[in-house]
Amino acid sequence: MNVVSRPPPETLLDPEAISKAEALGLHARYVVEGYMAGEHKSPYRGFAVEFAQHREYTHGDDTRHLDWKVLGRTDRYYIKQYEQETNYVAHLLLDGSESMKYGSGRLSKLHYGKMMAACLAYLILHQRDAAALGLFDTALRDYAPRTDNKAMIHNLVARLAAFEPRAQTNIGAVLHDMARQTRRKGIVIIISDFFDDEQAVLDGIQHLRFGGNEVIVFHTLDPHELEFPFLGLVEFEGLENVPKILTRPSEIRKSYLREVEGFCARLRDGCERNHCHYVRVNTSHPLHEVLSAYLGFRLRTTTQ
Amino acid sequence: MLFGLAAVSVPIIIHLLNRRRFQKVVWAAMRFLRISVEQNQRRMKIEDMILLALRCLLLILLALALARPALLSSASDAFGQSRVTAVVILDNSASMAVTDGAQARFEKARRAAEQAIESMPAGSATAVLFASDIVRGAIAEPTFDLNLARRTVREAPRSDRATDLFPAINKAIDILQDRLALRKEIYLVTDGQAAGWAQLVDAQQALERVKSEIKTHIVLVSEHEERNIALSGLRLASGLSPAAQPLRFEVQVSNFGREEVRNVRVGLAVDADPPSDEFTIDSLPPGSARSISLFAKLRSEGFHYVTARVPDDRQPADDRRTIAVRAIKEVRVLLVDGEPGAEPRESEVYFLRNALVPVPAEQAESYFIKTSTVTTPELASARLDDFDAVILANVPDFSAAVVSRLQQYLRRGGGLMIFPGGRTQIAFHNEQLFQRHQLLPGAFARARGEADQDEKFSVLQEKDYQHPLVALWNDPAAGNLASARFYRALPLEIPAPEKTATRSARSQDAGEPEIILKYADGAVAVAQRNWGLGRVLLFSSTADTAWNDLPVRLSFVPLVHRALGSIVQRQDEGLNVRVGAPLFRRMSTELLEKEAAILRPGHTEALRETRRVDLVNGLPVLTYDKTDFAGGYDVNFADPPHTLKFAAQSDPAESSMDELTTGQIANLKTVANVLTWTPGFTLKGVVERGRTGVEFWLPIILGALMVAAGETFLSQRFSRSK
Repeated sequence: MNVVSRPPPETLLDPEAISKAEALGLHARYVVEGYMAGEHKSPYRGFAVEFAQHREYTHGDDTRHLDWKVLGRTDRYYIKQYEQETNYVAHLLLDGSESMKYGSGRLSKLHYGKMMAACLAYLILHQRDAAALGLFDTALRDYAPRTDNKAMIHNLVARLAAFEPRAQTNIGAVLHDMARQTRRKGIVIIISDFFDDEQAVLDGIQHLRFGGNEVIVFHTLDPHELEFPFLGLVEFEGLENVPKILTRPSEIRKSYLREVEGFCARLRDGCERNHCHYVRVNTSHPLHEVLSAYLGFRLRTTTQ
Repeated sequence: MLFGLAAVSVPIIIHLLNRRRFQKVVWAAMRFLRISVEQNQRRMKIEDMILLALRCLLLILLALALARPALLSSASDAFGQSRVTAVVILDNSASMAVTDGAQARFEKARRAAEQAIESMPAGSATAVLFASDIVRGAIAEPTFDLNLARRTVREAPRSDRATDLFPAINKAIDILQDRLALRKEIYLVTDGQAAGWAQLVDAQQALERVKSEIKTHIVLVSEHEERNIALSGLRLASGLSPAAQPLRFEVQVSNFGREEVRNVRVGLAVDADPPSDEFTIDSLPPGSARSISLFAKLRSEGFHYVTARVPDDRQPADDRRTIAVRAIKEVRVLLVDGEPGAEPRESEVYFLRNALVPVPAEQAESYFIKTSTVTTPELASARLDDFDAVILANVPDFSAAVVSRLQQYLRRGGGLMIFPGGRTQIAFHNEQLFQRHQLLPGAFARARGEADQDEKFSVLQEKDYQHPLVALWNDPAAGNLASARFYRALPLEIPAPEKTATRSARSQDAGEPEIILKYADGAVAVAQRNWGLGRVLLFSSTADTAWNDLPVRLSFVPLVHRALGSIVQRQDEGLNVRVGAPLFRRMSTELLEKEAAILRPGHTEALRETRRVDLVNGLPVLTYDKTDFAGGYDVNFADPPHTLKFAAQSDPAESSMDELTTGQIANLKTVANVLTWTPGFTLKGVVERGRTGVEFWLPIILGALMVAAGETFLSQRFSRSK
């Protein structure tokens, strides 16, 4: 039984991963609708540093922003508008279904996901963006509302550590709920093995994207699930209440790997169609490598 | 062997057990697994079934192959002739020496046996037995080395032994019955001499019993032989064998042929000398035997061969016969006179002395028997070892010291003759000498008859003389023992032969008592017993004419001489043995542990065999058992120098040219394939035609190998990931 017991909260924050991720940062790729000034592009115009456009003065505008040069030349009242920068809200959604309990090595997928969520949350809060945390299976089980208070990281980590999976997954429904609830555009980070109906998952992602959110998919899989290295006669006992299967895995490895690859490929294709980042995470790889690789990639490809 | 089929359950059990032995894994990605399994389940099940079937088939084939299935009726040679396990019996008896003028039967038999071995298919095994009156396993257990078998047959030695084929057949059956082979064959190569088939019915029954299992080929190599003159007997007829005296030998010539033979010249020669005496038998009708007397002189003291010869015929083995004789220089006899009387004629030993030296007084000096006479009291001080024999005549009794000296004397090879008389202490003889010391062969019974009358008397038996000492009188020409009258006698009571269990109670020196002569009414008159190396003869009446008139009869001299000869030649009795019978000769103590070199007849000096004188029952004995050839055997000891000669004589029955009758051959044909072999005859075709039955183990093993290869290949292929 490779199901790892509940981890203590302090182990969730991987110092190495955090130190590397801090340097890279997590910047919004698309405009986000934060609620306070920040580093990320906002859909709103405001009064900040970077000029954006002029607008005719209307009653009630602050005269401080009148473009006096234009008034002097044309005698028209125009107001200078500047690009407003804002912070974002990142929704960390971690799959807490029973299938996430599986882990062949030291870490279960869930533990890995918890660590990943904790590190990302820390990173996000550290750069003064807001983070919200949701743990779900068939529905949202635990939700920490958005916060930009760095001190709240402890709260988040404690919630993560305390979570125990109980039920199967229904990611699609959770994503649809999420899309309906978020009013502002932000970043939705989904950490899951997506052992669910892939079409429902993609639909949910599409819904989120439709709402203007950026979606990052961390497809977390155990190395055994990716390589299927079993020998001899093995009885597989499902984690999510499915019948047992007795077979000789070595003889069906190719077929199994074909199925897994096909699933991952379809998921990836679906994400790419929706302009989401799809990251396949092998839990045997150290978290800091996974995070820094992704954040580095993101830094290179995101235009500020 | 078909129990092996039960092994088929093994892979099935393993299969079922394996289904119970699996690893348990808690697994998240069940959906992919389920899809894969659904895709492959059917194929995997079919593959499992195929492998299981192959493994079961493999075991079935192995079990079948080990059971060595055979199709007995099939004569197919599709897989080559199945191998044969055979026993080749080669008759090497004396009758195989018969030639057809160009080739001896034995030569042909060897060729036929070689052909039999050559006709065996590759992979066959054969044993080789030499059969005569014993079975010698030249190759006692079947060997796969057919070259060795062939060489053994080619170099097989003939012997002068008689024939008895039944033990050889029995042994061959014993050898083959233990074998797990499909084809078992016996090849019996022999001449058709009827003498070898004494147990024809038994042999036939034995072969009948195993007929279904063992195929027997009897190869007869003989051609009819109509004539055969054989020397069927040769023995020393004289009681004693003094050197330089003419000795009478009795030679028996038999015509085993079917025609009368005329002018058979019989010669007698000593050692390598030319014949010293010859006799021509005018006519010898078929099937008859004739005894003739021939004389020869042994020139010197010691061992000599005396050889009788008839002209060579087609059976050379029986045309000469050799015996070994030890010539003695002089025989010294101590006569103990129990009743000397007043004048010589009244002496108890008067007649004995004259009978022992039957020559005029002036020639007595040069006669080979020397006598000395002492009285009973002088016996105690006599040097017994100076004499070859001691004769006690009417000696009442003597002291224990004398008894023990007599025992010493007998143990060393002396001879003792005891004549009773009026003074004889019967109680002393019966209790001391017979019961206690077991010196005498029997006890004196109650006396019968009276000496001082001549109406009532008993006589000796008239015919049917069994003992060799008196066998001479079977020939009426030699005189008549029964003419003597015994007025008074002390008949002997001979104890019944003891069971071996009680023998231990008897002194080791005392031999079995033997009856030599009986009275006409059956009472024992003369008996003897071997004692140590010596011999004791006990008479039942006086040595003088007090109780009987035997001493004045003609037959007294030969009887006394023969009795003396029997005592003196006691040691030399074993010198002449039947061919095949072992020589046991007691040797003097200084030869113990010494090596003797033995030269067999017809062999060169280089082929001398060595034998050691060993202790047998505490006595030094020379044993030699390879007396396969008739003729003289030289035995030499190097240190201390000692020479011994002995001779072996073949069984006269082996000279018989009688062959199996047509009826007997027909009987044999019901249990065996009887072939008559002549040079140019090929055994192979005949034998191979008779071989039916095919063993299927080879194709089955090949099939099993193919199944095993297929199983390996498929299991590799099936276990590859899909």
